Amino acid sequence: MGDVAIKEAEPDAADSIPVAEAGQSPGAATPLAATPLAPAAVASLALATAACGGGGGSSSGGGATGGGGPAPVAVLKPSSDAQAARFILRASLSASTSSIDAVKSQGYEPWLDQQMRTANAQSGAQFLADRGYERVDNNRWYDRQNPADNMIWSQLMSGSNSVRKRAALALSEFFVVSLNPISITWRSSAIAAYWDILNDHAFGNFRDLLEAITLNPAMGVFLNTQGNRKADPNSGRVADENYGREVMQLFSIGLVELNLDGTPRLGSGGQPIETYTNDDVTGIAKAFTGYDYDYTGVGTTVATDGSGRNIQDPLYARQPMTADPAKWRSPRATGYHSDEAKSFLGTSIPAQTGAVQTLKLTLDALFQHPNVGPFFAQQMIQRLVTSNPAPAYVERVARVFNNNGSGVRGDLRAVFKAVLMDDEALADAGLNDQRFGKLREPMIRFAQFGRTFDAASASGNWDIGNLSDSGNRLGQAPLRSPSVFNFFRPGYVPAGSQAAANDMLAPEFQIVDETSVAGYINFMDSTIDGRGSWMRDVKARYTAELPIAHDAAALLDRLDLLLTGKQLRQATRDTILSALNADAVTQTSDDPTKLRRIHTAVLLVMVSNDYLVQK
Amino acid sequence: MFIGKSNELSRRAFIRRTGQLAVAGSASSYALGLAGIGEAAAFSAGNDYKALVCVFLYGGNDHANTLIPYDGANYQRYNAIRSDGANGGVALSQSSLASTVLNQPQGQVLTDDIRYALAPTMPRLKAIFDQGDMAPLLNVGPLVTPLTKAQYQSGNLTQFPRPPKLFSHNDQQSTWQSSQTEGSTVGWGGRMGDLALSSNQNAMFTAINATGNAVFLSGQTAVPYQVSSSGAVLIRGLNNRIYGSNNARAALSTLLNTHHGHVLEADYTRSVSRSITYGGFINDALASSGGAYDFGNDSSLSTQLSVIARLIAARQSLGVRRQVFMVSLGGFDHHDNLIGSHEALLGRVDYALDAFYRATVSMGIADSVTTFTASDFGRTLATNGDGSDHGWGSHHFVVGGAVNGGRFFGRAPQVSVTSDDQVGRGRLLPTTSVDEYSATLAKWFGVSPSELPSIAPNIGRFSQPDLGFMA
Repeated sequence: MGDVAIKEAEPDAADSIPVAEAGQSPGAATPLAATPLAPAAVASLALATAACGGGGGSSSGGGATGGGGPAPVAVLKPSSDAQAARFILRASLSASTSSIDAVKSQGYEPWLDQQMRTANAQSGAQFLADRGYERVDNNRWYDRQNPADNMIWSQLMSGSNSVRKRAALALSEFFVVSLNPISITWRSSAIAAYWDILNDHAFGNFRDLLEAITLNPAMGVFLNTQGNRKADPNSGRVADENYGREVMQLFSIGLVELNLDGTPRLGSGGQPIETYTNDDVTGIAKAFTGYDYDYTGVGTTVATDGSGRNIQDPLYARQPMTADPAKWRSPRATGYHSDEAKSFLGTSIPAQTGAVQTLKLTLDALFQHPNVGPFFAQQMIQRLVTSNPAPAYVERVARVFNNNGSGVRGDLRAVFKAVLMDDEALADAGLNDQRFGKLREPMIRFAQFGRTFDAASASGNWDIGNLSDSGNRLGQAPLRSPSVFNFFRPGYVPAGSQAAANDMLAPEFQIVDETSVAGYINFMDSTIDGRGSWMRDVKARYTAELPIAHDAAALLDRLDLLLTGKQLRQATRDTILSALNADAVTQTSDDPTKLRRIHTAVLLVMVSNDYLVQK
Repeated sequence: MFIGKSNELSRRAFIRRTGQLAVAGSASSYALGLAGIGEAAAFSAGNDYKALVCVFLYGGNDHANTLIPYDGANYQRYNAIRSDGANGGVALSQSSLASTVLNQPQGQVLTDDIRYALAPTMPRLKAIFDQGDMAPLLNVGPLVTPLTKAQYQSGNLTQFPRPPKLFSHNDQQSTWQSSQTEGSTVGWGGRMGDLALSSNQNAMFTAINATGNAVFLSGQTAVPYQVSSSGAVLIRGLNNRIYGSNNARAALSTLLNTHHGHVLEADYTRSVSRSITYGGFINDALASSGGAYDFGNDSSLSTQLSVIARLIAARQSLGVRRQVFMVSLGGFDHHDNLIGSHEALLGRVDYALDAFYRATVSMGIADSVTTFTASDFGRTLATNGDGSDHGWGSHHFVVGGAVNGGRFFGRAPQVSVTSDDQVGRGRLLPTTSVDEYSATLAKWFGVSPSELPSIAPNIGRFSQPDLGFMA
């Protein structure tokens, strides 16, 4: 970038942003950061003997767990409500006073372990079934998309423990499938099955997850593995390259060779080294031929609309695709898997190798590639903690990906723990570092709003609909990315920005513009008091806020803690508090009066910069 | 008229001043902003107008089913490659193309005597071609230097450099728009905006984006302003009581204009301030142009081009003489469903480009507005059964009164999956570079020859800095 960064706001502060030197960690050059503090210095340490043998524990990259040996393990605990809330707001979708108390008493890792062990109360598939969205009736749910929107908002806004869902949502932005172009019967069931896979494997193994998403029908339709046939030398037809290309570029290894710390390896001439050529794409594409829906156990029902259409059971959109042609809708004796030799990324699969064995060898090759750890680690850190992690942070997490401490590669539970419990994430230094943190995604804000304020669906359907429009809705809808490249790219840099001038990435800013920033404020304005058309069925109840609404300071304290982890600055608090106090509310005021104050307080907090940038 | 850098220092001072105005910004302060900005008008004289409109087709347009070989021999080659025996394939029927054949002028002979037809859903562009205001540019794509197939296959990237990360959507979108892969922050539309800033009384309206953020419109100083298809979105809470409270409205205004030095907060505040400061002004200007140029709801592309037409109609209210716009349509990644879906999308392109072109005619400024297409890449000529895969070179269209239309530019590729102008499966090796495309448009826009390398950094390696498709 040029020497002049345009700062249209507060030009007096414009030059006060220190520019990091190349290779330095984001925290290191900030005058405000003082001496970086190890978490041990800011949090109370309690000693406890390792319970349950520790297992694959000691995986946190933060160095909180020492060099091994049978000695007692130090359990790191937050020393304040704010530290606890800061942690919870990254690890899950919302904080509550009880979760804050739990983290403070149990410590970070024991609390996280407990949450990670807990299964979701309801799956996406179960929601659709329970709400009647899989019935064949005159609603024609099998052709409609809104059950999927309702399913995901039900998932994100209800149910107690949201640690698993937070990880699954981050995974949905790495292994992207979008509802938008999947125009198949029971598309809502297909995307719900995909969401359930992400949840089921969120704390399992990367290799298993990679296979599960590869064979999922929604992914199969989205990236064309479903129905992909081997080449026909007579007609000149070739295998579809779409999944083969994107599984390499986006779901495993990325485009350029990486060091363990996520920086590109440089070849002769100082240029990055591309991980694959187009020959690798045409080679790997053959591996993903021959798959189609598995109709085992799938019945049909005649549509009730008089069309005579036979509607297959939604089961077909949930079961993994199969290369066994006997299980297809129109069973065949021979399938369409390529029997040619397949060669890519230095792996050679001999001719005549069957589909199942080919898939195993192919995914193993991708999974074992040295890029996967740093490539995945960097993006999970970006989704959960900070847009610009220090290379050493990426390396610590990548090492855990490569080996969870028990010799297991790809242990996602260990990886997510390493992301969340790293020194760089937990240290107070980040709070005063003007480059640390990330912009909260709109869908994260809205989910947090619903959970924090006890939102409930009158019908039970969570009938919120598609929130993608940035001018008159939220500007982001989960599972509705515009393409497989997610809502924003991990390498996005907003043009002419201070981020660019400071050599920083700012992925979430790819969906920030003059329309979406105004649209978000209008959306929250109409969401908070429930008057927006998308809030007819779902209302926030403010159960815990009503009793303290007369005490503006107490109300603001609560919102500050639960929404930001006490990251509102004093000036922001002063502005909000004086606005709240200017309109009198007493203990005897009626509920509508109290609610107006609550609504105002929630809106002002959730549009403040202190809230929007999560540190 | 050529735009130079002579006013660089003044312009920078001017930009700084607009920045300061935004600090004082509130919902009603755009009038204040205008008072200060008016001084800038002295930097350039004249009141002519020129605009460039980039129509980006996201996903990688299948060029081979957009501009289809129609003459007997070449259609046979096309059909042999694109059909898939009894399974169908992705070839359009020759008979469906009869009414959209593009007849080049006598004397223009293309490779293998090829004659092209537009997709059957593009009759309007065919009509604009016939009247001389549309030109196809054949086999254009990103190149660092002219490249042969043998050089490409040598793999010697030092001696025969090529754009990195070929065939990758996000990177080739970025490369088309900025000559660099993802992470780039300056695009060639934005660079033209930089050079045009001083021509405009209100510099902030130089680069206007009606689609999602993209690097194309970002300059070194020019920052694109994003409008929705219904104009600017205004923050209701700044103009009305919030939940009945005036005090809350004041607090909202304070909070939206305050950050505490954090880089990401500062950048977010910048977008909010621009939205607040200029949104009302844009909507006032749009209102002044009345309800004209409503192209209906045929597609998001037609609604985007509709708001661009309304902005152009309001150009005097907006105080602009040089503008760069961007609109887009997605869905072109036809790995499957090519037959049917692709033609439908092209029909939307046809409808929208025609409506926009006719709007500029009715405003009497068709000669001043040039619209051009771009896309991630072209696609394979070979089929995977019901679609095609990622390619490189592609065909594109330039539309406007200043276009030397009614004929083809660039070199027609052979209809082949083995020839030397493709690198496998019919992925075209470009014979015209994006730099030549952008340089030709930039020259028309008024960019001086000495500034061309800042628009088209590789232009010095190509023999044709002006392809001749602009008058």
